[in-house]
Amino acid sequence: MADIVLSNVHKVYGHVVAVTDINLSIKDREFVVLVGPSGCGKSTTLRMIAGLEEISAGTIAIGGRVVNHLQPKDRDIAMVFQNYALYRHMSVRDNLAFGLRNRRVPAHEIAAAISRAARILSIEPLLDRRPHQLSGGQQQRVALGRCIVRNPKVFLFDEPLSNLDAQLRAQMRLELKELRLRVPTTSIFVTHDQTEAMTLGDRIVVMKDGVVQQVGTPLELYRKPANRFVASFIGSPSMNFVTLSVSADGEHFALGCNGWQFRLPARRFPLLGSHVGRSICVGVRPQHVRLGAPVNENQIPIKGTVMVTEQLGDEQLLAVRLGDGEIRIAGVDPDLSLPTGSHIEAAIATDHLHFFDELEQI
Amino acid sequence: MFFALAAIAVCLLFAFPVFWLVLTSLRPGTGVYYVHRGTEFTIDNFHEVLSQEIVLRALFNSFMISTLATVLSLGVTATSGYMLSRFKGPIPNAWFSLIYIFRCVPYVAWVLPLYFVTQELHIFDSYWGLLLPHIAVHICFFSWIMKGFFDGIDPSMEYAAMIDGCSRWGAFWRVAMPAAIPGLTALATLCWLYTWNEFLFALILTAHETPILTVVMAQFVHELGMEWHLMSATAVIALVPALIVTLFGQRYVIRGLRI
Repeated sequence: MADIVLSNVHKVYGHVVAVTDINLSIKDREFVVLVGPSGCGKSTTLRMIAGLEEISAGTIAIGGRVVNHLQPKDRDIAMVFQNYALYRHMSVRDNLAFGLRNRRVPAHEIAAAISRAARILSIEPLLDRRPHQLSGGQQQRVALGRCIVRNPKVFLFDEPLSNLDAQLRAQMRLELKELRLRVPTTSIFVTHDQTEAMTLGDRIVVMKDGVVQQVGTPLELYRKPANRFVASFIGSPSMNFVTLSVSADGEHFALGCNGWQFRLPARRFPLLGSHVGRSICVGVRPQHVRLGAPVNENQIPIKGTVMVTEQLGDEQLLAVRLGDGEIRIAGVDPDLSLPTGSHIEAAIATDHLHFFDELEQI
Repeated sequence: MFFALAAIAVCLLFAFPVFWLVLTSLRPGTGVYYVHRGTEFTIDNFHEVLSQEIVLRALFNSFMISTLATVLSLGVTATSGYMLSRFKGPIPNAWFSLIYIFRCVPYVAWVLPLYFVTQELHIFDSYWGLLLPHIAVHICFFSWIMKGFFDGIDPSMEYAAMIDGCSRWGAFWRVAMPAAIPGLTALATLCWLYTWNEFLFALILTAHETPILTVVMAQFVHELGMEWHLMSATAVIALVPALIVTLFGQRYVIRGLRI
């Protein structure tokens, strides 16, 4: 068992608060992704779990044992770093063996562990090379191998794919998923890339300014973002946001801004009642806006002017001017010719609307 | 083409005094004042200086002092540079300030106090009497350079080592130090050459018991006259180990100082 429990964990550098009151429980063999923009505290949290940073307050427990004051070497963890951190004066074989030799594992067991890891990661022909003789992808595999050979309780990944080009990154994502199946271990993966987070994580922890914004499965975060930050961070292209005024209109609420008005039935959106006479932020994902007039009463019409089109081959992305604002539409037929300035009509299913007040989704 | 010619001209400019020194060392005592005209050459000067016991002792002492000062300085300088590079807090800050203050003191100003200190500690005219001041100077001058070397080494390697079972000291010794070998070699070369060529400390802090080559060389100018031919021969002898160390270390010096 290697569950990880973070209780009220704080990290302060002088007067700067890096991480505030993190409470997180990670189950045995679960793969959790910490995601957020640069400086949000995700790497600091990982380093605190690794023992590379002291904790200002709170406790961290691995496998039921509080590890606050344990050295990194005594926590039974393995870590992959952004820049691989291979020992450049050693061969690949020695890199893999380093941790085992430190723990005085017998030579024949080290050889067997290296052979197994090399087979899993297809690095057998590289064992006698030095790190500088390897490509980025090969170095990353060796770094993974260094973790596997130790058979630790926990894998920690600190943005391990950031230094790879887009193609290799996609490939390594797949390899990581395969690796999870072959070596099921409790893992924490830090990234700023929401695609990596969505594709790899059993659960995702979204962080901003040292504070956890939401914890959930990828679909939970995509479908029910806790606040506007999570809504904008998860999903690509980013969610559209429009600030609309709310007024009561019989059994409906009327929402509108300059250039866009629509009505929603009050019985389906009772929470809007508390915002009558005020503004509200409405979010809708670009994938949920479809070209064409509404086909039923559950869809809201949009009329706008095409500003920019982006051709992706399998789809087009549109940036459409809507009153004073702008919304993006994804999933448009790539063969459709939509010159700049052309008028379009689109529809949004009301089921896909997200409403946010200043802080959270309502 | 212009730059190549300019480079050759600069090289010749620097090489000329050495060429003149070698030429002088090969001239008889009477010929040193008309080196450019004479045709008589001899290696008797080398025989003469190498037959003097004090020159041989000075050669040995200079070699030992340079080597010991390099080894001992590097031990302290490497850890000092590592601390300045990797750690933040009052102790590294205080150490940094101390080094900075000592660097600000003119080199010559150290000599007289050091003379009294070595007298007081009864280590005047001994290996330790010369080694300790050299090590102190090296720490102040080379800790900064060593910090630069370690700044250029990714600390993730050490973190990985700490997770792989090393203590902080183990990570320094087994991962950071091997990675810093080009820098350490460069520093060792500079350190050795600096001590080998040093004159002022050797002149003030040693006497007859521990003759040092640079001082012995200067003693060929005395009240009875100036024996330029013998001084030049000794200088050429002194040049050989320095040349070997330079040739060995130049690759690392260039690479190390580029980090």
